[in-house]
Amino acid sequence: MRTRLLVGACGASLALYGAALLLTRQAPAQWVEVALWLGAGVVAHDVVLSALVVAACFAGSRLLPVPWRAPALVALVVWGTLTVVAVPVLSRAGARADNPTLLDRPYLTTWCAISVIVVLLVAVTGFVRSRRSRAGE
Amino acid sequence: MRARLKPPAPEQFTSRLRSPAVAARVGLWLGVSFGLCFVTGLISHYAQLPSHPVPFPTSPSWGYQVTQGLHVTSGVAAVPLLLVKLWSVLPKLFESLPVRDARRLLIAVLERGSIGVLVAASIFQLATGALNAAQWYPWLTFSFRTAHYALAWIAIGALLVHVAVKLPITRDLLSGDIDATTHDRVTATVPGALSRRALVRTTAAAAGVAVLATAGGTVPWLRRVSVFATRTGEGPGGVPINKSAQAAGVEESATAPDWRLEVVVGGVLAASFSYDDLRAMPPHTVDLPIACVEGWSAQGTWSGVRVADVLRTADAPTDREVVVVSLQQAGAFRRSTLPASFAADERTLLALDLAGEPLALDHGFPCRVIAPNRPGVLQTKWVSRLEVSA
Repeated sequence: MRTRLLVGACGASLALYGAALLLTRQAPAQWVEVALWLGAGVVAHDVVLSALVVAACFAGSRLLPVPWRAPALVALVVWGTLTVVAVPVLSRAGARADNPTLLDRPYLTTWCAISVIVVLLVAVTGFVRSRRSRAGE
Repeated sequence: MRARLKPPAPEQFTSRLRSPAVAARVGLWLGVSFGLCFVTGLISHYAQLPSHPVPFPTSPSWGYQVTQGLHVTSGVAAVPLLLVKLWSVLPKLFESLPVRDARRLLIAVLERGSIGVLVAASIFQLATGALNAAQWYPWLTFSFRTAHYALAWIAIGALLVHVAVKLPITRDLLSGDIDATTHDRVTATVPGALSRRALVRTTAAAAGVAVLATAGGTVPWLRRVSVFATRTGEGPGGVPINKSAQAAGVEESATAPDWRLEVVVGGVLAASFSYDDLRAMPPHTVDLPIACVEGWSAQGTWSGVRVADVLRTADAPTDREVVVVSLQQAGAFRRSTLPASFAADERTLLALDLAGEPLALDHGFPCRVIAPNRPGVLQTKWVSRLEVSA
């Protein structure tokens, strides 16, 4: 219990220090925008992304035959991660005409190719697993 | 219609995968990656201070390259860990508060509040970090540096509070079998498409794939597989550019024939050097990385004159810190401070050449600072003046 109290008190102090930094090193207009971004991140995850994932899993559990579900879920986790990580480069919003060394890869083409490969992998794996499970019956 | 849009009840989540056993395992690795992010981030902020109470080491020359590479890499790895962690505990978001009992209500509100702070700060950190690496600044007022730094303390603090609250149950979960149902919600009984173990492994694989897809910005042999890295690593002399001469507004002043490097001692001009004067001094060549705070880095072969030689030629002291001033008229990094040990280091150059060619205008022509173990933003380009106290 003492360890927990100590760790908790440490954590609370560090967080308070962070809050003090936010307040003292920024102007009120900046506090407001940081708060908006904090809230927007939570809404984007807890409402938008979570709902999309719940919907995708629901659809998968209704539409996909059982042997297809495992590869589909693996694909969703890996492809979804890659897509989220790639958002800043896919948007190319940071690209600048005066700096050709920044964002200098064919991101959208690559992402499309990866998406197609993922779908094909799921299809092949699902098909093979279906045949096997039928053969095993 | 309104009634149908109400949030779900926790009992409606029936998958066995949404379990504390999965949350504890993924959470452990998420904690490790956040810890790594925090420590390496602190190192980066410390390195960027104008003066260091504890001197920042000049060796190894690749130190900052490694710590900042780790910072960005562990942040990328944290993305799937955070997403799966939150997915596994999503039903908790919809639990009702114990409104009848004041004491329990207070505890519940405090705990939920701390988790709210943790989740908000975590998403903020990963999102702003990734946006900064791609130089995309969609916010209007705040500074990435200030906000990312302050929120790092809040995130790590809220994480420690969370660890303190969950320590006994986490210990129990991690020492037990992943398929044990002791701590499961009563309705979490439907087997998932994967086993719990397979879900945890898939998450780890997703983290690995995300790292491979981005780490080529700092690990040269990964360049070809890092399809979502912000750079190919190409650029004049094999080194990418962070800020162009045009963006810095120095195209004219950097190419002006009357450009001179001034050495100012105690506010008084001690000497000034033309480009040819610098070319006439003994040249030195070093292999040093440019390691950007945004996580990319590139090794370069730089040639030029030692900062210490320039100071000595100007009869300026070589045992103290040196303020390097750029031709840039604006921007937070138009001035940088070389701590005394960096200014005296014989690897610290005012580089005139990169890869055997005169420095490209975008790399800081006529001359730029290149020093070992130093954040890229402090390797000041288009240098016009060195200032030393008397």
